[in-house]
Amino acid sequence: MDKLLRNKKAIVIFMAPALILFTFILFIPICQSVYYSFCDYNALTPAKWVGLKNYQGLLQDKTLKIALKNSIFFLIYSCVTQLIMGLFLAALLTNIDKGRNLFKNIIYLPCVLSSAALGLLWMFIFSPKLGINQLLQKIGMEGPLWLMDTKGFIILPMWVIAFVALWQYVGQSMMLYMAQISGISKSLYEASYIDGCSKAKSFRYITLPLVRPMVATAMSLNAIGSLKFFDMIFNMTEGGPNHKTEVLATHLYQQGFKYFKYGYASAIGVLLLVLCLAVTLFINKVVKTEPYEM
Amino acid sequence: MKKVSIWQIIIYIFLIVMAVLYLAPLLWTFNVSFKTNKEIFTAPFALPQDATFENFTFAWTAGKLGIATLNSFIVCVVTLLLSMIIGSMAAFGIARLRWKFSHLALVYFLTGMMIPVHCVLIPLFTRFAKVGLSNSLTGLVLPYLTFSLPITIFIMVGFFEGMPNELIESACIDGASIYQIFFKVCLPLGKTGLFVTGLMTFVGNWNELLLAMVFISDDMKKTLPVSLSKFVGPYNTNYSQMFAAIIIAIIPTIVVYCAFSNQIVDGLTAGAVKG
Repeated sequence: MDKLLRNKKAIVIFMAPALILFTFILFIPICQSVYYSFCDYNALTPAKWVGLKNYQGLLQDKTLKIALKNSIFFLIYSCVTQLIMGLFLAALLTNIDKGRNLFKNIIYLPCVLSSAALGLLWMFIFSPKLGINQLLQKIGMEGPLWLMDTKGFIILPMWVIAFVALWQYVGQSMMLYMAQISGISKSLYEASYIDGCSKAKSFRYITLPLVRPMVATAMSLNAIGSLKFFDMIFNMTEGGPNHKTEVLATHLYQQGFKYFKYGYASAIGVLLLVLCLAVTLFINKVVKTEPYEM
Repeated sequence: MKKVSIWQIIIYIFLIVMAVLYLAPLLWTFNVSFKTNKEIFTAPFALPQDATFENFTFAWTAGKLGIATLNSFIVCVVTLLLSMIIGSMAAFGIARLRWKFSHLALVYFLTGMMIPVHCVLIPLFTRFAKVGLSNSLTGLVLPYLTFSLPITIFIMVGFFEGMPNELIESACIDGASIYQIFFKVCLPLGKTGLFVTGLMTFVGNWNELLLAMVFISDDMKKTLPVSLSKFVGPYNTNYSQMFAAIIIAIIPTIVVYCAFSNQIVDGLTAGAVKG
């Protein structure tokens, strides 16, 4: 038995396909990307080492500043709202008896639908003369230019996009919290009711602390998801008006595949990667706790 | 009779409002997709006057959504099958076989979950162009497969670790080889997990836009999310056709979701709860 499980040839056969794919399609390209970020490299010339030039370029790039600001806004917004809404919905759904699955499935539905298609749909709903503004017109109000207004530090289109993203993905957080809550032993709640706790109190003192390990998981998923966010922005505004709704992912796409500045786009990619890793580490350090006995 | 508390009623009202907020945009899209472009502007919320399938036939044929659906289907099914086989093999190797670096291998795969696909876009694009993989469906399957592996391996490791040792021992005593143990004992027992990961892989890749947009330029090889964007132009968006296209793009996932929603949900939570 032991000999069977230590069979070197078998280990190689089982592991090789996945390891090879992973190394060649993910790991080596990442290293290459880091290398390209130090190079002057476009569609016509081969990569030429130029040191930190691309990163210096990043510092002076106005659109990058907007993109970074939007990405960080988006990151914070989605971490906070998804946590609050997700937990809230999960708490509500675990407290009802009838129709729990129905509501759960309806709210989760947009998570599995194509963001590209939903982006087009919401672009229409928020376009100047259609959708929501048609509705507002019926009650005699004039709606704002949802996706074109450029006033303010965080402009209206970013709030709209962030709202739509929350609409689409809150189901995922809700689902994770529900799974964690359903794992909490019923006897804890019963004991708290006998001790005279209200539902709100038992939520505060039992559910919240015990759900904390999942907060770390769900939050890092949200954080990475929000940094990767591309499809919906691309189809709703294409980064416009005047690059005001650009995020890192769309800026990378523009620089890399519209202007073919591979080196520069790689530098944006490295920035994105560093952000992803840093945020995940941060969340796991700050939010994650030792699991309780449940 | 059981007393219905006021809180229960408030909760239900809130949930019903949420449900409307979720279903209304989709139902409305469905409604509008049967209208003419003029009707969208004049009577956006009424039912279509005389429902027409023209928008759908236009989107399907002239908009090349038919061929795009086929491409998406091919890419997704091939990716799903390969990721199930390769992923569960690696998961078995990590969970059951005994070697020094098995834990390290798991960590290696799991870091893949943290890496955004954007970071590998340029190196893959330039290399695929050199080896003739750009503009081909194979060139899409490879990255899709790679990015599906972490979650597949993660979930399947959980399944294989949960299997009782006695099963493998008795198979071993009966003289089964390690490959027979994997294919005839462990894989059939892990089929719930396989099914779940397969579904998640399918849904995820069906919706992927960025890689497909960058790697494929030939109209006949485009996938569904890419072909969708053709329905919007800066000056001439034909809304009713766009809506028909949106419906065509999301109907398959809605059908899959309705049929397997419980398994999809299980899969999502199976992975996360253990992490």
